[in-house]
Amino acid sequence: MAVPLRAEAIVKHFGAVTALNGVTVELRRGEILGILGDNGAGKSTLLKIFTGYQRATSGRLLIDGQETVLRSVDHARALGIECVYQDLALANSLSVYLNLFLNREIMWPGPLRLVNHGAMRHRARELLADIGVHIPSVDLPAERLSGGQRQAIAVARAVNSQARILLLDEPLAAMGAREAGLIIELIQRLKAKGDLSIAMIMHNYAQTLEIADRIVLMQRGRITYERETAATSVAELMEIVRREYRGQDTV
Amino acid sequence: MGHFDRRDMLRTAGLAGTLALLAGDAARAATEGAFPSHPKWRLVFVNHVTTNPFFVPTQNGIKDACDLLGCTYQWTGSANADVAEMVNAMNAAIAAKADAIAVPIVDPHAFNAPTAKALEAGVPVFSYNADAPPGSDNKRLAYIGQDLYQSGYRMGERIAATVDAGLVAIFIATPGQLNIQPRMDGATAAIKKSGKMIDVQSIASGPTVNEELSRIRSFYLGHQDLKGMYAVDAGSTQGVGEVMQQFNLPSKGVHAGGYDLLPKTLELIKAGFLDFTIDQQAYLQGFYTAIEMFTFLASGGLTGPADINTGLKFVTKDSVGPYLTSKTRYEGSSLQPQIVARSGPISG
Amino acid sequence: MNHHNAVSLRERFLQWREASILVVALLLIVYFEWANGDFLLSSASLQNLTQYIAPAAIIACGEIMLMIMGEIDLSAGMVYAMAPFIMHFAAETGVPVPLAVVLGVLAAASVGLLNGLVTVTLRVPSFITTLGTLFLVNGFTLTISAGTPADVPGGTALAQVMGAWGYSEILWALAVVAMLHVILRHTRWGLHTTAAGANPTGAAEAGIAVHRLKIGNFVLTAALAGLTGILEAFRISSIDPQAGGNQIMFLAVAAGVIGGTSLAGGSGTIIGGLIGAGVLGVLSDGLTLIGVNAFTFNIILGLAILAAMIFNIHIVRLARGGGAE
Repeated sequence: MAVPLRAEAIVKHFGAVTALNGVTVELRRGEILGILGDNGAGKSTLLKIFTGYQRATSGRLLIDGQETVLRSVDHARALGIECVYQDLALANSLSVYLNLFLNREIMWPGPLRLVNHGAMRHRARELLADIGVHIPSVDLPAERLSGGQRQAIAVARAVNSQARILLLDEPLAAMGAREAGLIIELIQRLKAKGDLSIAMIMHNYAQTLEIADRIVLMQRGRITYERETAATSVAELMEIVRREYRGQDTV
Repeated sequence: MGHFDRRDMLRTAGLAGTLALLAGDAARAATEGAFPSHPKWRLVFVNHVTTNPFFVPTQNGIKDACDLLGCTYQWTGSANADVAEMVNAMNAAIAAKADAIAVPIVDPHAFNAPTAKALEAGVPVFSYNADAPPGSDNKRLAYIGQDLYQSGYRMGERIAATVDAGLVAIFIATPGQLNIQPRMDGATAAIKKSGKMIDVQSIASGPTVNEELSRIRSFYLGHQDLKGMYAVDAGSTQGVGEVMQQFNLPSKGVHAGGYDLLPKTLELIKAGFLDFTIDQQAYLQGFYTAIEMFTFLASGGLTGPADINTGLKFVTKDSVGPYLTSKTRYEGSSLQPQIVARSGPISG
Repeated sequence: MNHHNAVSLRERFLQWREASILVVALLLIVYFEWANGDFLLSSASLQNLTQYIAPAAIIACGEIMLMIMGEIDLSAGMVYAMAPFIMHFAAETGVPVPLAVVLGVLAAASVGLLNGLVTVTLRVPSFITTLGTLFLVNGFTLTISAGTPADVPGGTALAQVMGAWGYSEILWALAVVAMLHVILRHTRWGLHTTAAGANPTGAAEAGIAVHRLKIGNFVLTAALAGLTGILEAFRISSIDPQAGGNQIMFLAVAAGVIGGTSLAGGSGTIIGGLIGAGVLGVLSDGLTLIGVNAFTFNIILGLAILAAMIFNIHIVRLARGGGAE
């Protein structure tokens, strides 16, 4: 059976700048893939191509073995690819449940196209309970939530949309240890539910090795290292990265 | 503990004596007054340019009349000729049970309904400074102000007497506005009647003084063969005068004149750049209107109302002197109450 | 963090963001009623008061939608003056009056479209764009009208509905407010407007067509401004090229801000805009009624607005501090 997502020889230019220089990587069914690398390595760009937000300059994407050109974010979503960006795409002044259903609102039937607040509130509570996220009230405006709660809402929103492939951009950024722990548990619960393949861009090697099944390391638009997490360690990863710095020094 | 010495006694006596005298005077004044006691009637004056210096003497006139007659007044309306604001102010005055209302009718229709409403509610309405056009449905009781058409006609006669032939430009700030358009109409009619080969062009100069100056200047530069530049409102008159001065046009045989007594206009008349300006006597527009309101109210509506023509006076280089040298509340350059001395023969 | 299920009534009132400005409005009404007994309790004065409130309330609805998105329309006052003239000229050429009214509003909407396209596709800040269209539309109006006032088209029945009857304008205002409130809180258009204002990148990432939304709100604001101009023209039976202008635009924006919409964008309230217009209307009407003279009028109005805003902000701070976790 084909893997849910495979990228082959992806190249992306932004004018004179080459962000991706021939990336080949796949996301296997039911796994958590960690994407590591320094700033400017091309991780976010790669993610944006997977979500349909950007188009690759060359290379191909295979979804479930089928070569696909993603026309838009909506197209990617229709294929079951959901993404949680670093800024979380939350509207601070809107309540939790409205954020959860942003652009996927539940409507009343009829020509007036009014949104169904009651149904959304109810479904929001159900969903949060389902994935084990505790928020005091779904009516709270998003700005009143802590960093970890906001991240949880953003992830819940992606999950709510019947995602099969979940992409997370730095989900643990700017989070204290306790909150990071809660999010890690959430991601593990999601994986345990089955049929969700998750790719995460991460910065913290220790956290990555704790959750991910497999990691890839990106350096300057290329994947330079790929390993099952069980077969590698933080020390080894840091050595590879150090080699890159030293390589730059001697130039 | 008081030290009651002779000086204190004298001082106290003096104070008491003065007070007694004043009280006696006041008592005498009351019995000598023409009108018995009446409520302090509230006279509401709505205006289209409430902050325009032209109307400062008008407000002085209203105040003097009110002080004389024991009434109060309110000066309200719009600062920038917004008719809707003026209508709102009139309606507010009616709702607040004003005793009388005066308004310049600067729009042919907008004031008809509020005027009718006021009259129905028993509030007399007068127009001042600008009147409804002939044939209008407006039911105001009387108009106090300059006969606009007539003043324009007289100006037109003067123009025809000064200019024999050629292009004459007449500037008007906002065409169609009822307090200045009739002047333009009168002037044009008089010039046409004179039969002279004068080509009259009516030019809109804009509602603000700065704009007016630029437009007048541009017009002159595009028509440097013109024979006369005139204006029917205060700002345009000043603009015409300044352009006459800037290009030294009197020496080229160009004539100019206009309306109202802006200080710069008066200076330019004295310096010979403007032939004349027309004084519409803003003080009287306030004073006489307030008096009319009072007599109407005092007599229960039996006396008055009557139209009052506050006249038009040509102010020329010969007669402009006193206007420049004195600062009086009658012309708006001072707020002090005063009696102005006069001497010498009275010129027409 | 303490969240009881039964939140106290007082707490709930304070957290309702329009509460503070409603308190201000009520205090002002009480004051003016005390200072001048005719303020509210006669039909003439009530009708009068509504005529002070209605125009700013209608235009405020549009400006609020734009302010939520971090934009503004400075040309609204000029569109207000232009639309009745378009209606007038259409009627003169024989178009039936109701259709002429529609054409006037459409002409206004087209200015909004221009504002939206320039702001969104050419990426000019809306302040600049609408400043430009302000002058453009003003000049256009002066030109087509030759600076001269015009008559409203005949037909008294339609005129009564479109503003001549004393209470018609406030009824229009209430209808517009109700409609926009529903749109803002209960339709995707409104919710997405708020989201796009709070987090434009995020909203785009969520797949919201932010550009289309913005242009739509510009069109909406201009159309409402044109409608207001037409209503006012029928009310005073005259179409005036000097009408409206920047004064009404500032009043509308002020009504929105006083009512609780943030100038910085991200959140807003239509009901608050109505109450804000109410505060401004109560002040203007009340000060005129108690006999304040023109020269001191603006001083007092300015001070009163400042006081209202300061009071409003501090109540909000109190509510946030008291009711938050």
